[in-house]
Amino acid sequence: MTSTRRLQKELADLRSSDLKSFKDIQVDEANLLVWNGLIIPENPPYNKGAFRIEINFPAEYPFKPPKICFKTKIYHPNIDEKGQVCLPIISAENWKPATKTDQVIQALIALVNDPEPEHPLRADLAEEFQKDRKKFFKTAEDFTRKHSEKRPNE
Amino acid sequence: MDENTQSDANNDELILQQQRQIEKEISETTPLVSDKQTISTLNSEYNDDAVYCSKVKNLAEKYISLRKTRPDGNCFFRAFAYGYLEYLVKNKDDYEKFRDLVQKAKDKLVKQGFPELTLEDFHDTFMDVIDRVAPSENNEENLQELHKLFNEQGYSDYIVVFLRLMTSGQLQEEADFFFNFIEGDCTIQEFCHQEVEPMYKESDHIHIIAICKALNANVRVEYMDRADGDKVMAHDFPEVNKPNVFLLYRPGHYDILYPK
Repeated sequence: MTSTRRLQKELADLRSSDLKSFKDIQVDEANLLVWNGLIIPENPPYNKGAFRIEINFPAEYPFKPPKICFKTKIYHPNIDEKGQVCLPIISAENWKPATKTDQVIQALIALVNDPEPEHPLRADLAEEFQKDRKKFFKTAEDFTRKHSEKRPNE
Repeated sequence: MDENTQSDANNDELILQQQRQIEKEISETTPLVSDKQTISTLNSEYNDDAVYCSKVKNLAEKYISLRKTRPDGNCFFRAFAYGYLEYLVKNKDDYEKFRDLVQKAKDKLVKQGFPELTLEDFHDTFMDVIDRVAPSENNEENLQELHKLFNEQGYSDYIVVFLRLMTSGQLQEEADFFFNFIEGDCTIQEFCHQEVEPMYKESDHIHIIAICKALNANVRVEYMDRADGDKVMAHDFPEVNKPNVFLLYRPGHYDILYPK
C-alpha cells in the first residue's frame, strides 16, 4: 500500500506542527484511512465551540482526494445538514497529489471562519448571511451553544 | 432548494460511480504501456476511413512500430517518460546529465514553494526507477525492467506526478514567457493548479515545451487527424534539435513511436 507511508508521514507532521485551530487528532493505527479531529474556529459566530470532523482517505490516496465530513452539527452556508462540505482544494477536478492534508485542513478552517455565501451548500443560510447578518450570527451562536463540543483548554 | 441540493449531490455521486466504472473497465483491458505493435495495427481502428488509412500508410513509411498508452489523460507524460528513458538507457552521457537534473529538481521545486513532505515521495520513486534502469552491459534487461515498472501503477503514476510538478515548476519559473501561450484570463500559477498539477488532465503544447526544457529532451510529435491531406504532420519541440523521443498524436491521445 503506497498510501500508508505517505499518511504516516503526514500524520506525524500534522501532530508535531501543533495547530491551534485543529486539535485532538485521533487515528486508529490499524486504519490510517480515517482521521478524526476538532476544528476550533477563531471567528464569531463559531468561536465559542469546537467541531468534530472526520477525514476519509480513499485507498487510491494520494491519487484521489480525501473526503471531509462534519460530525458536529454546524449552522454554516457551506456545510449541509449531513455534514458535507464543498471544499475546492479536494474536489475531484482540482485535486493535486502533492497537496498536504495540512493544507486541506487550513483551507477548511479558513472556510469555517469566513463563510463563502457565493458558493453555498445551503442557499437559505447564504441568503440570510448576506441579507440579515445580525440574525444569522444570533442563530448560529445559539446553534453553536446547543450542538458544538467543548473547546479544549488553550 | 434543499431538495435540489440533495438531488444534485445524488447526481454527482452517480456520475462519480459511472466514472469509476469506466476507469475500471479501461484499466482491466488496456495496459498503462503496451508491447510494441506494428504501425498497421492502427488500420483496424479506422477500417474504411480513407483519410486515416492514407495517413497510417504514410506513418508506416517512417516508423516501424508503436506502443500504445492507456487513455487516462496522463498519456503524454507517461509516453514521454517511457520514450525518453528508453533513449537514455542507451545513451550513457545523456543519462548521467538527466539523472543529475532530476536529482536537483527536488530542491529547486521546494525553493519554488512546493511542499517537501509530499514532494519527496514522488521524487524518491522517480529516482529509484531511474537508478534501476541505469545503462549497463545488458541493456535488454534494463528495458524489460523499464517496461515492468511503467506498468505498475505504484511506480508509473508517481513518475507522472513528478513530471507534472517539474512542468509546473518550469512554467512558473518562466511565467512571463509562458503567459503568452495560455488562453483566457488566468495567471500561469492558476493554469498550473488547474491544468498541469492535477492527474488525468490532458497535455497541450505548453506542457510539452516546458517539460522538454526542464529535462533537456527533444520530442517529435507526429500529428494524425482527419484534416485534409494524406500525410502525418511532424512537429519538433524544440525545433532546432534532433529528436530523441517520438510520439504519435491523435486528437486527445499520445502513443510512443519507433522510427525506422
